[in-house]
Amino acid sequence: MQLISFLILFPLIIAAVLLVAKGDMLRNVIVVASAIIIAAGSIVLAVQYLGAPWIGFEFESPIVDYIGTAIGVVIAAAVIAFGVKYKNYLAIALAVIQVVGSLVFELGFAHGASSRIGLYIDSLSIVMALIIGIIGSGICVYALGYMIDFQKHLDEHGEAEGLTELQRKDRRPEFFALMFLFLSAMYVIVFSNNMAWMFTGWEVTTLCSFLLIAYTRTEEAVNNAFRQIIMNILGGIGFLVALYLAVAFTGTLSLERFIAIGMMRPALVVVAVGALAFAGLTKAAQMPFHTWLLGAMVAPTPTSALLHSSTMVKAGVFLLIKLSPLFAVCIVPATMVVLVGGFTFMLCSFMAISQTNAKRVLAYSTIANLGLIVACAGVATPEAVWAATLLVIFHAAAKSLLFLCVGTAEHHIGSRDIEDMDLLFDRMPRLARFMMLGIMCMFIAPFGMLIAKWATLVSFVDSNQIILILLLAFGSAATFMFWAKWLGKLSGIAGSPENVELTVHPSEWVSLIIMACIAVVACVALPFVSNIFVEPYVVGVFGVLGRDVAVDNLWLSSILAIFVFAVLFGGIGASKKKRVGVYLAGVSVDSDTRTYRNSLSGESIATSRNMYLNSFFGEQKLRPVGEVLCSFIIVVALLASGIIPPVLFL
Amino acid sequence: MFITESFIFTLIGTVAFVVLAPIIGCFLAGLDRIISARMQGRVGPPLLQPYYDVRKLIAKDDVTVSGVDGVYMTCALVFTAFAGGIFFSGGNLLMSAFVITMAALFFIMAAYSSRSPYAELGAGRETVQVMAYEPMVLLMAVCFFMAAGSFNVGAIFNQPLPVICLTIPAFIGFLFILTIKLRKSPFDLSTSHHAHQELVRGTTTEMSGKTLAKVEVMHWCETVLFLGWTGMFFIWGTPLSIILGVVVALAAWFFEIWIDNNFARVKWQAMLKWAWIVALVCGGINIVILAFI
Amino acid sequence: MGYASKSPWVIHYDASSCNGCDIEVLAALCPGYDVERFGIINTGNPKHADIFLVTGSVNSRNIDVVKQIYDQMVEPKVVVACGICACTGGIFHDCYNVLGGVDKAIPVDVYAPGCAVRPEAIIDAVVQAIGILEEKSKALQAAKKGA
Repeated sequence: MQLISFLILFPLIIAAVLLVAKGDMLRNVIVVASAIIIAAGSIVLAVQYLGAPWIGFEFESPIVDYIGTAIGVVIAAAVIAFGVKYKNYLAIALAVIQVVGSLVFELGFAHGASSRIGLYIDSLSIVMALIIGIIGSGICVYALGYMIDFQKHLDEHGEAEGLTELQRKDRRPEFFALMFLFLSAMYVIVFSNNMAWMFTGWEVTTLCSFLLIAYTRTEEAVNNAFRQIIMNILGGIGFLVALYLAVAFTGTLSLERFIAIGMMRPALVVVAVGALAFAGLTKAAQMPFHTWLLGAMVAPTPTSALLHSSTMVKAGVFLLIKLSPLFAVCIVPATMVVLVGGFTFMLCSFMAISQTNAKRVLAYSTIANLGLIVACAGVATPEAVWAATLLVIFHAAAKSLLFLCVGTAEHHIGSRDIEDMDLLFDRMPRLARFMMLGIMCMFIAPFGMLIAKWATLVSFVDSNQIILILLLAFGSAATFMFWAKWLGKLSGIAGSPENVELTVHPSEWVSLIIMACIAVVACVALPFVSNIFVEPYVVGVFGVLGRDVAVDNLWLSSILAIFVFAVLFGGIGASKKKRVGVYLAGVSVDSDTRTYRNSLSGESIATSRNMYLNSFFGEQKLRPVGEVLCSFIIVVALLASGIIPPVLFL
Repeated sequence: MFITESFIFTLIGTVAFVVLAPIIGCFLAGLDRIISARMQGRVGPPLLQPYYDVRKLIAKDDVTVSGVDGVYMTCALVFTAFAGGIFFSGGNLLMSAFVITMAALFFIMAAYSSRSPYAELGAGRETVQVMAYEPMVLLMAVCFFMAAGSFNVGAIFNQPLPVICLTIPAFIGFLFILTIKLRKSPFDLSTSHHAHQELVRGTTTEMSGKTLAKVEVMHWCETVLFLGWTGMFFIWGTPLSIILGVVVALAAWFFEIWIDNNFARVKWQAMLKWAWIVALVCGGINIVILAFI
Repeated sequence: MGYASKSPWVIHYDASSCNGCDIEVLAALCPGYDVERFGIINTGNPKHADIFLVTGSVNSRNIDVVKQIYDQMVEPKVVVACGICACTGGIFHDCYNVLGGVDKAIPVDVYAPGCAVRPEAIIDAVVQAIGILEEKSKALQAAKKGA
């Protein structure tokens, strides 16, 4: 209990301190120290409650309720202020609706309604706490070095690039404060049993990501930030509706009670579940709301890493996994979640093929992976939840690693285009290996991702989700394509171009190594990860583990993973073999640069690009399909879940 | 929690596969060349020609473009061995399919690592090939799971009837993508066993000596594994049915050679489109049938 | 007999031939002669090939190409000059741009004259080349062991 409060409050205090702390040196010390403390706190918490069942902490406080409401008002005020400044009236309208709604809720409608057990902890919260505490704060450390380069670039080239004074301003104190505020809000979400408090945390993450996306204050950044906030306030309003319904039908704000009552009398909660699922879908950036996450790419890379791996979108899937037992009994919202997740997985995997921008590929793959997690949560069998939780872990580790790699590469090779990462293996040998590690962890055997996918298949088959099986089959084939060609681009080697990674900041290396270690440990220790973190939660919720996922296969994966890591970091060094040039079907002038003598005795350079299959998987083709399809599913499902209960009552 | 019996089986199976698959695969490859030659009105090479080729390649000088392609190919070989071991020890079919995809990935990386324009283009096409056949492989495994009640290949020996009785559409779909998996014409887009193609040798353009020998051996092992998948459909509780399985596998393999010799190469667009349509139709229909009976 | 002699893979390059010899080279692969009986494959890739079949004479334009292909072949390797032009320059020997036979560019191991060279002669030459290949292979193995 004390530890939980500490994890929630400590980042908050640090955020306040960072807001006023000036100077790189001071900031470095504060950020590194508090990152270590937060990570250590999370680990201590995990050790303390390892394998524990659901434990609630009695904690009820009207003061906290009021603080929550006050935070809601501040958020709305901030959004309205920005809305007025940038003339975005839709955002203002939504913020007004939300603040009025939550004020009415707190002061009138649900005044006094509360939850005796305010905070709780279970294995899923522990997993999330570890992700937030280690990966999240690791990203904050990474940001130290990154933001120095970022600001330097603004100071040196900003004026030439036509940026205004406002856009060039050193806003780093605000940036780091927001990062830590984000962590605090995430802890609130994963530890609150009181849904109103959870809602507060939910809204804080929305505002934080709004401010982080708009960090550069360029027109594009501001537009994308507004897109994010409009979509997420919509989701927030869904959450709010669910709060109203929860109080009205179940008379409690306790998440645990809400789920327990719902399990017994699904008709009471079906609308609320639908509304909560809607909120989860928006936050998890599922189609048609996926565009906010793509837009978030304009922000500095640490922001993207934070949004994608350990916070924000993970809040969305966390909520959906939590609701999973209810999906087992509420068919309509479950169908909505399953179909939206499934289609998002497939279509976003397809669209990732057509992207050359590394960050966009990562974004699409994040959305696709979240889709898979969301679909698993909706399927709501023990195997599916097992798979979903494992996917959350592997995705967090691998994706943060990849984002940080891309961020560092971008600063040193001046591009985030995958085609420009040609020869990265020569130019940034260590970084390229980390990036390859991240990619491998993302999608292939023998790593966790794959085991998770397999459990997903089993549960889809068991629950006769035919459409999902097909979506998964085609989607994961596409996954292979876009990762494999990126991996291929990275693995190219020619001669020895200049090594440009010597100027990478130590803080970036440290967090890269931490992320890589987490990814490696998670893969190698897969049987333990499953046994210690994931299975207790599944058993706690469903009572059973479901079909045996075959421990020996986990061990096999673990062995193969060790083999691959050994090769990646030990095997592909300098070779003793004689080196020769490539065959260019003629006279090579320089085979490292693939220059050959052409038919006019001049020199030509052979170039080759990866295949992007735009005619099949172009964004223009698939995006409208996905948006229309998923919007349709959501609208129909919400209407249906709104109509069915009254019918049942009559 | 820890090492189980089936895990040991897998390791034993892998060792057995490492010993036997190259031998069987080598004979099959030799036969393939003789049969192809006969189909073209030629005599063809000796049966052991693939073995001679590999021995010669091993004796060649060690040179390399990237310095790492040999390592990647070793990985590909190791993963192929594991995939075979998992399958033939009665292990998890899905795992076997995933691990062999991993081998394909390392093969692709070996090709990319050279930065040869031909090899890169070949590797790109290889990724498209993997993408083309992967859905059907997955759906085939799912159909097997639904019919046999387990992903474990060993489960076929508890069946009263062969799995094929319930999975005819999936089997047909699998035969279609088998051509892509064996890199036979009309789907030998990334590299070809036949001389003269527009990509020189595609993926293997820059590989020579021992590295190329590894590619050959990997192809042998792959052939054995995929024919194993084919035969699996026809085996049930009676041990004698293994003979039927072998016969069907050989028939399927002869069929692939016949296709190889009778069809001109298609473009990748056509391959992708048709492979996916076949997967959707055959796999989809089969899953619907299995789900509702 | 070592394995080098059982699996001679060839690469064929048309230096500046009139195409007469090229047609004969390809004819050797066809059912009538079927050189695959001896394990011979036309690879089209210097990195895979053991035997370099050159047809036509070398001129100042293609001499670098011939040299390059030869350099890119992996040891052990042998060169067969197919047809009289490849051997000496043939009727083109005093053309303004012709330098002469293939041996002006790279070391030639077997000469197979003829205009055009007959498939039997090609096969004969390749069989001779196989013998040389075998010796070179043994030398390479010995050098590897020595090193």
